[in-house]
Amino acid sequence: MNGNQIILQVEKLTKRYGDKEVLKDASFSIRKGELKILIGPSGGGKSTLLQCINFLVRPNAGRIFLDGREVLYSRKRDLYAYRQKVGMIFQDFNLFDHLTALGNVEIALVRVKKMSREEARMRASAELDRVGLKDHMEKYPAQLSGGQKQRVSIARALAMDPKVMLLDEPTSALDPELISEVLSVIRDLRANGMTMIMSTHQISFASEMADEILFMEDGIIVEAGAPKKLFARAECQRTREFFMKIAEIYGESR
Amino acid sequence: MEELFFIQGEVAPALWKGLLVSFRLIVPSALFGVVIGVFVGVLRVFGNPFVAGLANTYVALFRGFPLVVQLFIWYFGLPHIGIYFTPYGASVIAFSLCSGAYHSEYVRGALLSIKRGQMLAAQALGFSKVQMIWSVVLPQAFRRALPGCGNEIVYLIKYSSLAYMITCIELTGQGKIIASETFKYTEVFMIVGAVYLVLTSFASWGLHHLESRFRIPGFQHYGM
Amino acid sequence: MMESLAAIREALPYLLQGSLVTLGLVAGALGLGLVVGTFLAVGQVYGSSWVRRLVFLYVWFFRGVPLLVLLFLFYFGLFTFFQINISAFTASVIVLGLISAAYQSQILRGSILSLPEGQMKAAKALGMSNVQGIFLIILPQAFRLSVPGWSNEYSIVLKDTAVSYALGVMEVMARAHFVASRTYEHLPLYFTAGVIFLILTYGGTKALRVLEDRVRIPGYSQR
Repeated sequence: MNGNQIILQVEKLTKRYGDKEVLKDASFSIRKGELKILIGPSGGGKSTLLQCINFLVRPNAGRIFLDGREVLYSRKRDLYAYRQKVGMIFQDFNLFDHLTALGNVEIALVRVKKMSREEARMRASAELDRVGLKDHMEKYPAQLSGGQKQRVSIARALAMDPKVMLLDEPTSALDPELISEVLSVIRDLRANGMTMIMSTHQISFASEMADEILFMEDGIIVEAGAPKKLFARAECQRTREFFMKIAEIYGESR
Repeated sequence: MEELFFIQGEVAPALWKGLLVSFRLIVPSALFGVVIGVFVGVLRVFGNPFVAGLANTYVALFRGFPLVVQLFIWYFGLPHIGIYFTPYGASVIAFSLCSGAYHSEYVRGALLSIKRGQMLAAQALGFSKVQMIWSVVLPQAFRRALPGCGNEIVYLIKYSSLAYMITCIELTGQGKIIASETFKYTEVFMIVGAVYLVLTSFASWGLHHLESRFRIPGFQHYGM
Repeated sequence: MMESLAAIREALPYLLQGSLVTLGLVAGALGLGLVVGTFLAVGQVYGSSWVRRLVFLYVWFFRGVPLLVLLFLFYFGLFTFFQINISAFTASVIVLGLISAAYQSQILRGSILSLPEGQMKAAKALGMSNVQGIFLIILPQAFRLSVPGWSNEYSIVLKDTAVSYALGVMEVMARAHFVASRTYEHLPLYFTAGVIFLILTYGGTKALRVLEDRVRIPGYSQR
């Protein structure tokens, strides 16, 4: 994992709504193949941070570097090209309701990447097969379970060949028995070397899979470190308090 | 430029006369329309099947026939069976009955949206059907029906212009007369249009105001 | 009584031909209204503040001025002011269409606003431009949601076409009056005209219900 080059670097991202600062000076970097997980109380800025990275939310200050080059988002065309390289998975799936699963994966390939219909279809089928949905390709989102919807959404993002994937609480809207199917897909992605930044409340998954955990509260990255460290010997008081509470609830002790 | 003022001198009084006729058309028609609408709406929801059926037929006919057709029937058609109305009379009757049918739709919707439980409670307390409708249902239904019925009155202001087609000379009719004499169609009808715009805007604003005044906290949306 | 029925039977073909004119007016008006209305709705939801103001003005104007006044203004005014000569039919289609656009834009706007925010976000996250997001993702869904509203709009525009009689367009009502003034069978003929409109309304709303079923997305009930 170390020795790989830095794929994404985020420097002092700040976002204000009126006079409320929801994200303050967030900085971190991630190397190829790493999985970094954002953990913290709701409203702590995790979602805002992720959405600032692909500029769905325009940060008030800060810089972002992809593969060492600064991302300038003033020109629309550059912004769209950048977004193709950064995949996003939403808590609410956000599948296009008027298209089948196959259609959802194909549409960006045809319209944004300008592939031919046949190529797009082949690629889309392959991606859906990869996430285990070969038999559900012609179904519409309303006919799929939550877990299946999220897997389609992962296939949709993967088909774009992104350099890094952002996952915004991918399992928070799922019924408990459906969470594991999505987590196992994410595990496979990890095993195949995808670079990912994910926010989640799934503590055991985080402690098992993350290269680094970033604890966020009130818009600040309070502390960042390896899972073992944060769980047992965190440096900040607040971090220790949080993880102790978590350990109580989830019965973790590492 | 003087031409403009000269025209205003000639045009304005005639248009004003027409506007007065328009008011005399709109106000009674609006009032009758609402009364008919409430009455028919109540019949459709609370009446026995026969009465409700009659009411529904009335509504289907008077919403299905274009207003122009209805106007022609009252003014040109009825003389056929010996009933004669003045252009004004025929217009008010046509507007009231047509408008009433549309009002009854909104009233009906509002009545149906009142939670059944309240009516059961009223009956358990010993209210008669009429008392229940008057004291419990209508006050709430009124608020729910207000936007729809208010809108219908705005429509009436616009459609009053059709009285011209059965020779009742209101604002639009006067405009047409003046315009055909002077050939200043654009100018005249821009003024006429502006007057209607003021009337409808005023009515919409008034409706909005009424809606706020009668708002009950938490009681916004239709049906539950 | 018998003469009335005979008069109706004789006039019927002539009246029914008029219904073709009526349907032509409706089709033209709804079509124009759809195109213009879509642009207005998109402008109102996604445009800059002055675009929104312009749309608001347009909607306010075309919903506030009576149809008859607009017909006169457009048909006669255009001729006397700009020396442009168009047929009464064309003028009626244009005016009816522009008015319908104002109403249709509000229907479509409501549908667009009822879609979850996430749809556009997902489109953007995949790298789509705003335009692509609107036309590929938002509008296909918004149109489907608007079909019930269009049913209503169809029946309103259908009845409004009778007003074009004032410009001399020979649609159903005009023809009924023409025959009536010759045969004096006013009441039966106007009643027949009304029934024709009823049938056209019923047929149209039935057809739109079929359309609604056809374009329904499987599994998608009401929002």
